[in-house]
This record gives sequence, C-alpha cells and structure tokens, in this order.
Amino acid sequence: MTAAPSLTGDLRTGVLPEDAVIVRARGVTKRFGGLVAVNEVDFDIPRGAIVSLIGPNGAGKTTFFNMITGAYTPTAGEISFDGKPLITKSRSKVRSKKPHEVTALGIGRTFQNIRLFGTMSTLDNVRVGLHVHMRSHWWDSVLRTPGMRAEEQASIDRGMELLELVGLETRAEVWARNLPYGDQRRLEIARALATKPQLLLLDEPTAGMNSSETAEMTSFIRRLREELKLTVLLIEHDMRVVMGISDRVTVLDYGEVIAEGTPVEVRANPRVIEAYLGRGAAAEA
Amino acid sequence: MTAPTSPTKPIQMGVIGWLGSLAEAAINVPSAYRQNFRRHPRRTIILTVLIVFGILYPVLNREIFQPWNRQSSFPLPFPEDAVVTFMMILSIMAIGLNIVAGFAGLLDLGYVAFYALGAYTAAFLASPHFGSVSVVLFSQVPPGFPGIHLPFWMLVPLGFSVAALFGVLLGAPTLRLRGDYLAIVTLGFGEIVPVVFKNLSAVNFDFGPIHLVNANLTGGNLGINPIDPPRFFGITFGSNSGIAAVYLGMILLVGAIVIARNLERSRMGRAWMAIREDEIAAEMMGVNLVRTKLLAFGLGASFAGVAGVMQASYQGVTTSDFFMFSTSILILIMIILGGIGNIWGVIVGALTIAFLDKTFLPYLGQRFQAIDPNLPNPSQFNFLIFGILLVVMMRFRPEGFLPSRQRAAELRHAPVGQAIGSAAVMGDAALASEEQADTLAAAQVEAVEAEEAADAAEAPEAPHDDADRPRDGT
Repeated sequence: MTAAPSLTGDLRTGVLPEDAVIVRARGVTKRFGGLVAVNEVDFDIPRGAIVSLIGPNGAGKTTFFNMITGAYTPTAGEISFDGKPLITKSRSKVRSKKPHEVTALGIGRTFQNIRLFGTMSTLDNVRVGLHVHMRSHWWDSVLRTPGMRAEEQASIDRGMELLELVGLETRAEVWARNLPYGDQRRLEIARALATKPQLLLLDEPTAGMNSSETAEMTSFIRRLREELKLTVLLIEHDMRVVMGISDRVTVLDYGEVIAEGTPVEVRANPRVIEAYLGRGAAAEA
Repeated sequence: MTAPTSPTKPIQMGVIGWLGSLAEAAINVPSAYRQNFRRHPRRTIILTVLIVFGILYPVLNREIFQPWNRQSSFPLPFPEDAVVTFMMILSIMAIGLNIVAGFAGLLDLGYVAFYALGAYTAAFLASPHFGSVSVVLFSQVPPGFPGIHLPFWMLVPLGFSVAALFGVLLGAPTLRLRGDYLAIVTLGFGEIVPVVFKNLSAVNFDFGPIHLVNANLTGGNLGINPIDPPRFFGITFGSNSGIAAVYLGMILLVGAIVIARNLERSRMGRAWMAIREDEIAAEMMGVNLVRTKLLAFGLGASFAGVAGVMQASYQGVTTSDFFMFSTSILILIMIILGGIGNIWGVIVGALTIAFLDKTFLPYLGQRFQAIDPNLPNPSQFNFLIFGILLVVMMRFRPEGFLPSRQRAAELRHAPVGQAIGSAAVMGDAALASEEQADTLAAAQVEAVEAEEAADAAEAPEAPHDDADRPRDGT
C-alpha cells in the first residue's frame, strides 16, 4: 500500500491523486425503468478513510453500494477499485464484475437487514467468507488430500482469529440465527473481514442498536481502520455515529450528491438541512 | 461439526502425506470408536448392531431366514438378495439427490434421467448391442466377440462422468431459476431422457461423414440385453450370483457415503449450504454461484450415474421403462422421509421405502391373498401408501426420521430459533458438545410441540401449518 493520505487534508472528490483513492466513481447512473435511483454520481473514497454516505430514505445509498459490489450493473458511468475497472463497456453494453469477483478483489460488505447463514455455525459463517481465497478443488475434498486438510485447518484457525477480533470466539459452534442481534451484526463484519477486504462497506451497522451498543460498534469500526488499515464506506442514519467517526461525509438526495465534506461542513450545509428537515427548517437555520 | 480447538499439527504434503493420513485414520479407528462409546454408549451400541447386522444380512438371509421362510407356515418379509441390491442402488441415488436437493437446496424432479444415462452407458459399453464392431478390453468375453465390452471398473467412472456431464448440461440453463421453476425444468429433463432412449431405435441420419439408415441405437422398447455382469477375480456379481452382488452394492454404497461426507465437510459443502441459506449473501461473500451450482448438479448426478451402471450390469438388461418419473419421485420421497440434508437420514429413508415397496407391500399382498383372494393387494397401491406416509410425516415430523440439525430447524420455523436463541444466550461455550446439542434438539422439538398444542387449543384454524411446510414445495 502506498503512503496513506493525510486524513486531515482535503479529501474532496476529484482532488486526490489516483493512488490515494481506493474507489473512484465517475458519472454513475442507475435507472430502474423510469426511476433514476442514482444520477451522475462522482465519488472518491480516499484510501484509509472512513467515509459516510448519508441521505433520506430512497436517496439511492444502497443502490450505490450495490453497484460497487457488483449486485447491480450501472446504467452508465465508471467505477474503479484500486485502479482496476469494475465496470466495462463492450459496444454499448455495460458489464459489471460479478459480486464474487468483486469480493475477490478486496471489497467486503455487510447488509442492512442482516443476512447471515442462519443454520450454519458462527465459525462456518466466517469460513464461507474465507471460501474465496481457498484453492482446493472438489476432488481434493473427496480424497481429503493433505493440501486440502491443511487449508481447512488454516481456515478454522483464521476463522477463530476473526471471531476473537469481534469477540465471538466462545460462540464458534452456535448457529448464527441463535446469536443476539448485536452479535449477529458483529458476525456479519467478521464474515466480511474473512474475505480479506481492503474496503469494507457497512450498510447501517448500528441499525436497531441501543446507544451503548452503538457506541461499542462505533469504536469497533474505528479500531478496524486502525488495526487492519481498512478503508470503510458506511451508510448510516444515526447522525451521532456519522459525525463521530467519519473523515468525510457525502450526502445523497434523489440519487444526486448534494453535499460532501467534513462532518462539520456537511452539518452546516443548508441543502442538507433542507433535504432532511424540509425547506422551512433550512430557512430558519 | 469440527471442533475448533483441535490441536494444530503440521500436515505432510504430497502422496506420502495422503497415504500417511489414510493410515493414521485407519489406525485411529479403534480409539475413535472407544471415544464414541464412552460419549454416547447407547447410540454406539445400536449403530454397531445395525451395521454388523447389515453386513451379515445377506449371509444370514441365505443361511437362516430364507430356509426358515420356506418351511414355515408363517413366512416373514425378509428382503431377498435382489431387493437388497436394489436397496443399495437406491441408497446411492438418494445420497446423490441429497447433494443437489439437501445440501444445495436445488429441487431436482428429473433425477431419474441421470440414472438412465448411467444405465445406458453401461449398456452401450458392455453388451453385444453394437454388434458391427468388436472392442474387448480387459473383459470376460473372448476377444473378437461382437459389441463393445468394457469391464465394470471402467464403467463406473464412465457412468460417473457421463452423468456428471449431463448434470452440468442440465444445470447450466437452470442457474437463474429457483424453486418451482427449477423443479419444472428438471422435471422436463427427467421426461426427455428416457423418451429419447425409447425412441432412438430406428434412426435415419445422413449428414457429413455420418450415415445412419434405420439404425437401432438404444434398442427402443426392448432396451439392451444382455449386458455383461460385473466380474472381478473370476467372481461374477450378476443377478444370478446371489450375495456377491449385494456385497458389490454395499462397497459402492460405502464409497458413495465417504465421497458425500467428504464433500459435505469441505469448502464446497459450506458453499452449497450458504447458497441454500441465502444465495445473495453467499454470492456477496465470494461464492461463485455458477460454479457452485453446476458442481452440485454435476456431482449429485454422478451418483445416479454410478447407480445406473450398477443397475444395468447387475440386472443384465436395461429398458427405458425402468426410468419413469415415478422413480424420481420415489427417490425424493426417500430423502424427505429419511431427513433431507443428512446422509444417514436419506439412507434410512431409501432402505425404508425400498423395503416397503419391494418386500413388505408384496408380502402383505400375499398374506391378504392367503386370507381371501378378493382382498386388495397393497403393492398395487404403493404410491398411495407413500403419499399418505408423506402427508403424515409432514404433519408430525416434517424434518424426517433422521434430520440434519439445520434442516430440522428450517422446517420448524420461528419458534425453534427463539427457543434455542434464549438457551444460547444463557448457555456457554460448552454448547459445542454434541450431547448438549442433542438435548437442545429434543428441547426444541418439545417447545415446538408445546407451541403447536397451544396454537391448536387457542385457534384451531390458525394458519401456522403454512410455516411448517418445507420450502421446497413438496
């Protein structure tokens, strides 16, 4: 990894040099029939930063997430990750890398509504995340070759490490669906970390949490950045979380970027206040 | 489930390492057995008795049961050698279908097609059918004998490969389909394959270098006959050779169990379960859906291919009538009754259904006839009986006789999660021990039953039945 950019400097889209940016999106548009969910979005994620994507419901945040991870193919636009294009155009047809290819490149994600593999053990959930970096073939599994067994053992060890990181090591054999809610959120993060991401996409990681759980999650996300040198892109509704940990905040409304900047700048931006609270509130402010 | 605390030992690589690990596993069998015996004495004893009985059954049957039946005025329904051989064949198929439908959650209603493909592979390659050529390789027939004659040990991998290839071919266009739609496409495939075999009896084809005039490729309605029986070390394992064929079937079954177990406990097995649980999440976590599903289809089909080779070689004849839709359904009933998702469960299901179908119901029919010739013969109503059995099972034990813990929980939906959930919150790491898991499973069943009883008492028409129904739509 190249030298991390200073996180206190100017992180605005279009300002940073190529190698200081991990995700670069240009003119990204997604239409669902007549509905424009995301419109001409330019967006850079600086390496090593915690960036929040906020906006009212239906602003296109999750759609944008899904285009980065390959779940949706943009109608137009370009997204590159770590210098590699995720979207390619052949003739007039836009193609996106498949989600599992994107995962292999180093983007891990969690889901807004938790999507664990409910009746698999906590450890096996994490080991599914390790799948993408395992190399043994089915015939290795049939024969239980030494290479396959070593890889399985390594995946158990690595899985336990990740569970320790999120504090679930004593729950390794419990089914994911039987974990309490907060633990499920943390397991989702562990599973995403198992894919060895450089960029972690968290879709509302504190949704449905009480304030102490939220504080815990916030410090945990910060720790992830410090210890694992991750870049984090976060969709979040809880403004305390957003203002507390973000280096930079981008605000979407009706599929367009209406503001970006440091948390302080964004908080004072009249267009943001208008989007959240309505025109009258913006006038008062 | 793998214990996460198992000590990490360096693993030696290469062929030597592999042989070493096999030897180690073999050496460890007695101590592993003792350990199991200490932990679950009752279960171990029952299993041991069952396995020993199973292995000795053909001999016992020949030496004790059948002679007894011949002289007794009240014969008992002991399955004959042919039936036991078919139990083995059907168990192999049940294990294979369990990979597709149980592990990966892809409902396949045309599974019999792969059975047919395996059987016809054996029929083409070990019979005098193609009499205009003579290819004899390592076979018992004399050189120069008309037709293609390959030995059984070559047919098994060939049947495996052919079925796997067609499994992938079927899988490819159905990748995007789920649930009902997938079931319909596979159903169609299961109908097409036997019909193709039935109708390719007078083929006229003239294109390029191939000229066929009224060529009989598949024997049509008559099928292909005779097919060479399996033969090793001078022993023939055909339908006339009694218990030898049963043991050949058992060996194949053991192979199938080992392969399926190893697949289940591997990276691929976890990926299958992940796509069964949540396809989108699995893909986002890096599981290649195309590859994983095609492997499930291909490997699942290959078991039926081997079963088909065994069927054709054992019976010496194969016709398209053997491969009807009802066989697909029969295999599906086996895995649902036995416990979808669990290899041991589906074997129990296969043995039970095969026993009912081929021995017990005809036996009942005979007993009824002895009482009064006008009484109905239950073996004519076999599918009615299986249907009733299925309905009863779905009502009282939807997870099957020996369910996998996962599928049991899925089928008995929400209440279980909460029941275990609270236990898990209070419980500790010791949950890992299987014993506790078993107690939990028992507790969850009780909890569900209590809940159901409460529901029934409060609102008899409560729509909770829907939640109990398996999501495969069967």
